[in-house]
Amino acid sequence: MIVPFGHVLLLAGVLFMLGMVCAVARRNLVMILLGVEIMLNAATIVFIGASLRWQEMEGQVFVLFIFAVAAAEVSVGLALIISVYRRTGSVDPNNYNLLK
Amino acid sequence: MIDSGFVLPTLALVIFVTVLPAAAFVAIMIFLRPYPRWAAGASITAISVSLVSAFWLIFRHWHIEVPIQYTVRWVVSGDLYIPFGFLLDPVSLLMLIVVVAICFLVQVYSIGYMSGDPGFSRYYAFMSLFAWAMTSLTVSPTLIQLYIFWELVGLASYLLIGFWYEKFSASEAGKKAFVMTRFGDVAFFLGLLLVLLHFGNLNILDLNGPGVAEQMAPGILTLSVLLIFGGIVGKSAQFPLLTWLPDAMEGPTPVSALLHSATMVAAGVYLFARMFPFFSHSSIAMSVILAIGTISMLAASTMAMVSRDIKRVWAYSTISQLGYMIMALAAGGYFAGVFHLTTHAGFKALLFLCSGVFIHHCNTNDMYEIGQRGGRRLVAPLICMIIGAAALTGLPPLSGFYSKELILGVLADRHNAIWVAAGLLGVFLTGYYTFRLIFIILFPASISEDHSGHGQDAHDNRLNERLMVWPLVVLAAITLVLGFFERPLEHFIGLRHTADAVPTSGLHWTLYISLGLAAASVGLAWMEFGRRGAAQIGFVERIPVLNAFFSERWYIDRFYRFLLDRVVYNGIAALCAKNDEKVIDGSIDGFGRGTARTGRLIAWLHTGMVQYRLLIIFAVMVLLGMYVAF
Repeated sequence: MIVPFGHVLLLAGVLFMLGMVCAVARRNLVMILLGVEIMLNAATIVFIGASLRWQEMEGQVFVLFIFAVAAAEVSVGLALIISVYRRTGSVDPNNYNLLK
Repeated sequence: MIDSGFVLPTLALVIFVTVLPAAAFVAIMIFLRPYPRWAAGASITAISVSLVSAFWLIFRHWHIEVPIQYTVRWVVSGDLYIPFGFLLDPVSLLMLIVVVAICFLVQVYSIGYMSGDPGFSRYYAFMSLFAWAMTSLTVSPTLIQLYIFWELVGLASYLLIGFWYEKFSASEAGKKAFVMTRFGDVAFFLGLLLVLLHFGNLNILDLNGPGVAEQMAPGILTLSVLLIFGGIVGKSAQFPLLTWLPDAMEGPTPVSALLHSATMVAAGVYLFARMFPFFSHSSIAMSVILAIGTISMLAASTMAMVSRDIKRVWAYSTISQLGYMIMALAAGGYFAGVFHLTTHAGFKALLFLCSGVFIHHCNTNDMYEIGQRGGRRLVAPLICMIIGAAALTGLPPLSGFYSKELILGVLADRHNAIWVAAGLLGVFLTGYYTFRLIFIILFPASISEDHSGHGQDAHDNRLNERLMVWPLVVLAAITLVLGFFERPLEHFIGLRHTADAVPTSGLHWTLYISLGLAAASVGLAWMEFGRRGAAQIGFVERIPVLNAFFSERWYIDRFYRFLLDRVVYNGIAALCAKNDEKVIDGSIDGFGRGTARTGRLIAWLHTGMVQYRLLIIFAVMVLLGMYVAF
């Protein structure tokens, strides 16, 4: 393994932080969904790195599962966003406070 | 379970006596209420069969040696075993006859007295209810069963006092009677519990047996006797609780005759007689009882001296005669007490029923008014009333004379002369208030015109009054001859209890004194009320202080009012209300208010923004991760 495992973890951590900031700070539903996806990808990078580090196949299998789940989740999320946008005409999450 | 020699005919007869009135009650309440004639018919049929059965019973068992008991199991719970059944001994047989006979006569009388009343059927239903409860009380073998029927006669009394419930004073009087007797009944019940705890059994025969004194400590025994006597005080309207009985006169007059003079109030005395051996174990309690009987006897007779209401005079007189019976029993004169109970039931029912005729005829309870409206034209009731009054005063040869002499003889045998002195004073007062009433009706100051009406109404009235006279005649005859049955009755009653009771000596020196006093009291009443040109103002009424004291019933009612207002309403009730308002309401309100305030405090956290929550989730996850890692 050419790249050291520590670097992989560092990259994943940075990616996760970026995704987190994106999900928390952006005022756009699409960007929040994007942030969540980025965090998921950070997790997959850790899985791949770990599977290389310990020479186990399960990590890569997990990544495939995560892709599938992420694809499903994005499609549902986008559908929800479109529906909400049609109803309210806005994608700002601060407007969705009917439950307050 | 058949205890001793209970043969089938006896059992059937007892069931007839006790259960038939109950059947009549149920039948009237469910089916016969719209048909007054049928209701009265059912009730009177039931009570006549009861009467025949009761007479049959007493003839069958005239030479009864041992008490007959028949019980079936009713409740079993752990060690507690409560049987239900019948106990026949001389006292209960005698009381049964008295109760059923007077019930019968009063029900016949009521056909006339209550005719045309809208509640006629209801009246007969309640009368049957009372007859059932009272006869069952009489033959109860255990104190628990007795207590149940004791409360049922109280219920019948309440219903019948408040029979004319549209009248405010009547419903108030019913309530008062119920509450005041209940006061005594609570004591009674506590006494029963005490006996049950320390003796483990409420069977009357067992309690009267010799084992009680060994099993119960003397202090406990005295306490339980006094508590049970509390029930007697309530039911028989004795000293501290005597004021309900005069108010109970709001009920129809036949009811007063039956319940509030002859039978129900005598139930207290009957209980005392029934438990006589048990009560005599505690000499302290017997002294207290003697004192209470004496106080009630004197207090009630003084109250009777100033009352203008004819029924109230008899009510006070009932209290004082019941006091006599209790004095006799407490002094050890078992037969004297029971005999006076029997004779008193006869002549007091007679007096009440006679007054009922006057009240029915003149439409007033006031004895002066009755005199003025020509009460003395009703010759037959007047003669009967004079017979009853003479018996009450204790003039020979009437029944009251014999029983009162027995009581005075028993009292004279006590070492302390105060009891017999009080008894003799009571004789004087009794004669005075009785003949005051008689003379006021007989010799009114002025007589107004006869205005008893004409036409159909008056005709009906006269018909009713003629119907009402027959029971009077029967009772007057009983009053005339009952005294001569003293010896046979003493033989009948006295086979048991001879060990406990003081043997009654024949003639006694008290005889002459009491006769003299009775004559003197009648003479005094004649001087003040009877003779031509008398002012008709008694010597008591000339002394304002005494007059007020007596007519205010010794301020007993005022005292209760005061106690109720100050202690109960302003004290206990006010404290309870404050507790309710401040502590209970306050704590619940405070809890609610606190919750609302806390909610408002933390409500700012709830912004409704998705991303803040997300941020908090991340923060928590990071903190948790740091905690796990380090």
